[in-house]
Amino acid sequence: MDPTQATREVFWNIQYTWLVYVLMVPTLAVFGWGFWLKIRRWRAGQPAVRFDRPGERLRLFLRNAIGQGRTIKRRYAGVFHSLVYTGFIVLFLATTVVAIHHDTPLHIMKGHFYLIFQSLIVDIFGLFVLVGVALAAIRRWISKPKLLVYTDEASWILVTIFVMALTGFMIEGWRIAVTDDPWAHWSPIGNLFALGSDPWMTDTAMQRGHVIIWWFHLVVAFGWIAWVPFSKMSHIFTAPLNIFTANLDGYGGSLKTIDFETAERFGINHLGDFTWKDLLDFDACTECGRCTDVCPANTVGKSLSPRDIILDLQALMHKQGDQFLAGSNGSNGDGNGATLPVIDEKTAMAPEALFSCTTCAACMEACPVHIEQMPKIVDARRFLVMEEADFPEGMMDMMNSLESRQHPFAGTQFNRVDWTEGLDIDVMADMDDPAEAEVLMWVGCGGALVERNRNTVRATAKLLKKAGVKFAILGREESCSGDPARRVGNEFLFEMLAKGNVETLSRYGVRKVVTSCPHCFNSFKNEYPHFGGSYEVYHHTQFLDQLLAEGRLDRARSATVNGGRTITFHDPCYLGRHNGEYDAPRNLLAHLGGTRQVEMQRSGNQSFCCGGGGGMAFVDEPPDQRVNQERAQEAVDTGADVVAVGCPFCATMLDDGVNARRGDRDVRVKDVAELLWDEVGTP
Amino acid sequence: MRVLVCLKQILDPDVPARDFEIDPAAKAAKRGGANLVTNIFCENAIETALQFREAAADAKITALCYGESTAEDCLRKAMAMTVDEACLVQRDGNTNPDAAAVGRVLAAAIQRLEQDGGPFDAVLVGRESGDWGTGQTGGALAEELGRPVLGFVESLAPGNGSVTLRRQTDVGIEVAEAEPPFVVTITNNEDNVPRIPKTRDVMMSYRKPLQKLSLADLGLDSDEIRSGSSNFEVEEIFVPTDEVECELAEGDTLDERVDQLARKIHEVVASIG
Ligand code: SF4
Ligand code: SF4
Repeated sequence: MDPTQATREVFWNIQYTWLVYVLMVPTLAVFGWGFWLKIRRWRAGQPAVRFDRPGERLRLFLRNAIGQGRTIKRRYAGVFHSLVYTGFIVLFLATTVVAIHHDTPLHIMKGHFYLIFQSLIVDIFGLFVLVGVALAAIRRWISKPKLLVYTDEASWILVTIFVMALTGFMIEGWRIAVTDDPWAHWSPIGNLFALGSDPWMTDTAMQRGHVIIWWFHLVVAFGWIAWVPFSKMSHIFTAPLNIFTANLDGYGGSLKTIDFETAERFGINHLGDFTWKDLLDFDACTECGRCTDVCPANTVGKSLSPRDIILDLQALMHKQGDQFLAGSNGSNGDGNGATLPVIDEKTAMAPEALFSCTTCAACMEACPVHIEQMPKIVDARRFLVMEEADFPEGMMDMMNSLESRQHPFAGTQFNRVDWTEGLDIDVMADMDDPAEAEVLMWVGCGGALVERNRNTVRATAKLLKKAGVKFAILGREESCSGDPARRVGNEFLFEMLAKGNVETLSRYGVRKVVTSCPHCFNSFKNEYPHFGGSYEVYHHTQFLDQLLAEGRLDRARSATVNGGRTITFHDPCYLGRHNGEYDAPRNLLAHLGGTRQVEMQRSGNQSFCCGGGGGMAFVDEPPDQRVNQERAQEAVDTGADVVAVGCPFCATMLDDGVNARRGDRDVRVKDVAELLWDEVGTP
Repeated sequence: MRVLVCLKQILDPDVPARDFEIDPAAKAAKRGGANLVTNIFCENAIETALQFREAAADAKITALCYGESTAEDCLRKAMAMTVDEACLVQRDGNTNPDAAAVGRVLAAAIQRLEQDGGPFDAVLVGRESGDWGTGQTGGALAEELGRPVLGFVESLAPGNGSVTLRRQTDVGIEVAEAEPPFVVTITNNEDNVPRIPKTRDVMMSYRKPLQKLSLADLGLDSDEIRSGSSNFEVEEIFVPTDEVECELAEGDTLDERVDQLARKIHEVVASIG
């Protein structure tokens, strides 16, 4: 037998093969129609620029769509999805090979290629599909984790794929058996079926069975293909597209800006107000539930569920169909009732849920297909806040204070310069030449006005002084960066504060900003450029890390202050996930003599929010649903003596949490700068 | 129905204690680092008026303020809360006219506004201001206008040609029927918490006209008003100091310390007599 002549007969044992082509027409028509409906809906959305920077997009696409970078982060799901995914790709290629071989003059399905790829590899990957689907079925039907959505559709998807793979092997096996295929051992699984059937089935029975199962296989496969655009399997196409068009600017820059001069409505309460990318997001969801699984609000038992937000919006979009198109096409949405409101007490988009989001972006980081849940929550909050003036009381007080006092802490007993007492710190307004200050130390409301954080900003200032950095503060001229207003949904207030701050900074010609508040940091870095304020922005841990590296802060003289302590670092969402800085604070902690660093179970980009972002620091949470306590417990469980933080909000939230959860152990919450000063500053 | 709400701009009562300073010469608080806000009871009055308007379909609300040019912010905020029109009577300099003088200015302004737009059925004034807290302006204004006044009202509801008022008393709620025109002072309750304006209304508030009048426009002598009237004079104004003396009960054992503590208590009680 000459392996270079190896091949098999396409359509062996099959008559009326023309019927295949006839059936293919409606199949592809329905498939195309389904996707055309989707595309038409997306196109009704507002504009968004998501095809720029093709190089970066391609890289992201290769990593997370083709390479499944995020999907494989969950081990079990990652394994079975990879099995099915790679199986599908190989089986699709194999089908293409058959088509080329049979329908074009290129008879490629022969020889070693036939044996190695078309027989052996295809068999193995077919087995992958079977095993993958079986693993998925075990999860869905037996272990039943909470994160999944239990729909009939999802079950049918597993059943149909399994049936397709299984019948594929059956027809292969019977062909091998009946034709006594000399290359049978190259198709191990099919051969297994052949060997299994041989003893108890006659050739005629197998041949007849082959015909029946062959057509059955074809009908199921064609039906399945036609069904794809109408089921969550459409993610085969929508997910890669969604990843290619993902937001490339990091979560910190993911909120939309509003042009208040022209906007007909502030925020979103109608599908037509979403961008086409938002609408694509709804269709790209795979129902994997990872976003809800990692959501801090959901974890502590609140009703917020980013997965259900996306799925409910998807359902709304599908339900509204052409009505929604009519209500929004080309215009900014007319709000005349042609479209149903997206904020709805009865769905996941209930105001109560929307107002429990901490904007931590854990959902976005977890989503394998790069859906942007959090900005949609903020979009809806904007509508509630700016159009309806409807929001929780604590947020109301915070915003009132921002409006009249330019800081969110109503009732604080401190002013913006109290903390400088005895430190001799330059205030820009009092300097003869403010340009002498190389760096603006942006203190932040949380640093200057909250008692427990004043020590942090003092430590930061002392470290800067010690390193000989020429810096100044704005003192009373500093206003809130606007972050709390923006996350709560009051974009208008944010814009006023931002513009005011940019103006002040321009007046003093500020170019470099150091701040110990990651929220201010994020606003300066990602949001102020929109208002004409572009600065070199550092979080204090980044700046101090740089000073240490440059040798401007000498290493501790006494290694005893923190000596023997175990420290765990809590990543602030707005430093870590939103801006990708995980190392600087850890580097600084590594400089503390005689200490040991331990990591919490959820850290780095998987870190769990302290519960204070998104304006939640100003809201009284129900005692049994406190995000800060959940996180504090995790910190305490590491056995650490010190929970290191890098954010004034984390500091207060975790202080409360740790005090509630530390039992009789002595566990302290301290900012990295405080710890560093304790050591570097000790004579 | 026409409703008028009087507003006062005051120093933020939430100013941190150490930022609060007195100017002994001027016998007044210094602005210092404090912000200026609308007096809270005046905001309750706006909210009460808005709720009245919601119940009485054809009501119109005018906000009136006697204050420095910074007080424009209070009126803009009132307009953002959807008050229909606003008028500022300009006060020059940081002076603190007393309630009688303010009553006279407000009354003159109200009469002027009535000439142009017809009589006000109800005039609402905050119960008292968060700075001086005399609680006299409503009464003084009613006197000047020659209209009846009712204090500590928490809500107004349209009745048949009259207005139903609910007022808080020491023993409970009193319900009164009032024939317009009248003056009421408004106190707070859980239902008249000032609403947060919608952003569009905030934006619109900057586009709405704001009428400005000077004392001269009202035919008032600004010197007389500025120096206040002669009902009383502020002699001195100061921040009270709290002095705390702390002594620790000494002793080596708990018993000794408890013993010491008991003795001290005895001494203190005896010294007070
Ligand atoms: S941003 Fe955080 S809190 Fe908000 S939905 Fe996502 S995971 Fe939940
Ligand atoms: S939004 Fe993303 S993470 Fe959430 S269920 Fe859908 S695909 Fe999964």
